[in-house]
Amino acid sequence: MAAHPTRRVVLAAAAALPLAIASGCDGADVLAAPPSPAPDVGLLRAAITAEQLMIARYSAVLARARGAGTPAALAAALEPLAAEHRAHFAQLRSRLIVPPPSRGGAPSPSGKPAQPAPAPGGAALAFLRAAEQAAATAMLDRLPRASASLAQLFASISASEATHVPVLDSILLDGTGT
Amino acid sequence: MNRTQMTGHAAGAQSPDPAAVRALQSALAAENAAVYGYGIVGAYLTGSMQAAATTDWVAHQVARDRLEAMLRSRGSQPAAAAAGYQLPAPVRSPAEAVALAVTLEDRITTAYLGLVAVSSTAIREFGALQVQASALRAAAWRGSTVPFPGLPVSVLAAPPRPGS
Repeated sequence: MAAHPTRRVVLAAAAALPLAIASGCDGADVLAAPPSPAPDVGLLRAAITAEQLMIARYSAVLARARGAGTPAALAAALEPLAAEHRAHFAQLRSRLIVPPPSRGGAPSPSGKPAQPAPAPGGAALAFLRAAEQAAATAMLDRLPRASASLAQLFASISASEATHVPVLDSILLDGTGT
Repeated sequence: MNRTQMTGHAAGAQSPDPAAVRALQSALAAENAAVYGYGIVGAYLTGSMQAAATTDWVAHQVARDRLEAMLRSRGSQPAAAAAGYQLPAPVRSPAEAVALAVTLEDRITTAYLGLVAVSSTAIREFGALQVQASALRAAAWRGSTVPFPGLPVSVLAAPPRPGS
């Protein structure tokens, strides 16, 4: 029983160590003391995975739209948004300079969506809208731990995803997706 | 994470970080230019477009006041607005007024990305939310979206590489 508190203290001390190092890098001259690349690699992988998911979601909705014979206008309206996610993915991927050990290679934009895309129409647009909002928020949540340049890229991508929300709203209002 | 609390903390925090003060002054300069510019944008628009310009004009005045308060709380004197600003292009029509609004928002977006690079988490958070807000306004005026709001093409073309 007595070993448990001791073990907790050791774990807490180990957990506190990277924070102490990180705060030591928070001086006035950011360029002179770049943070260790390790936190950025984890954040980058998470962001890359998130963009893979967005690409997969758009692909699933577009594939179902084609299969259901919905108007070409829906695909035409959604494709530019999907293209921006592919640009996000490519830019994030270009900054990942350490290959993921679990796969031994570069991730590719072929991830499967966590849940199946709904049938084309208002439900699909609402699905994408919610996904965009969640992705924009998740990207913001990565800012505090990111290096300066990566934080700027995350903020820009988050803003891009935020601008997709009113576009999806207008598609819904136009009736293109129904 | 409560964003309102965090940005409220940013406005009241004391920080001697000179990089943060420089970034705040740059954002303030961009906001002052936007407040001046939207005064011209609105003059060339009518109806719902003019109402949108007025809404955005007010948003920039609020943001300017916020930045001035953040600078004062850090013991820095906010730089005063210029009496007038050189427009990037002449404005003589509604289309040119809309183009000016797009340019103003793009510049503001870039200025707020400067806040995202400072070490203070609260300022980063504030900057990132303002990047979102200006990107949304830019997209509304432009009528389309861009993949990387505020980021210069040069940054995107040359990602950091080891040994380069």
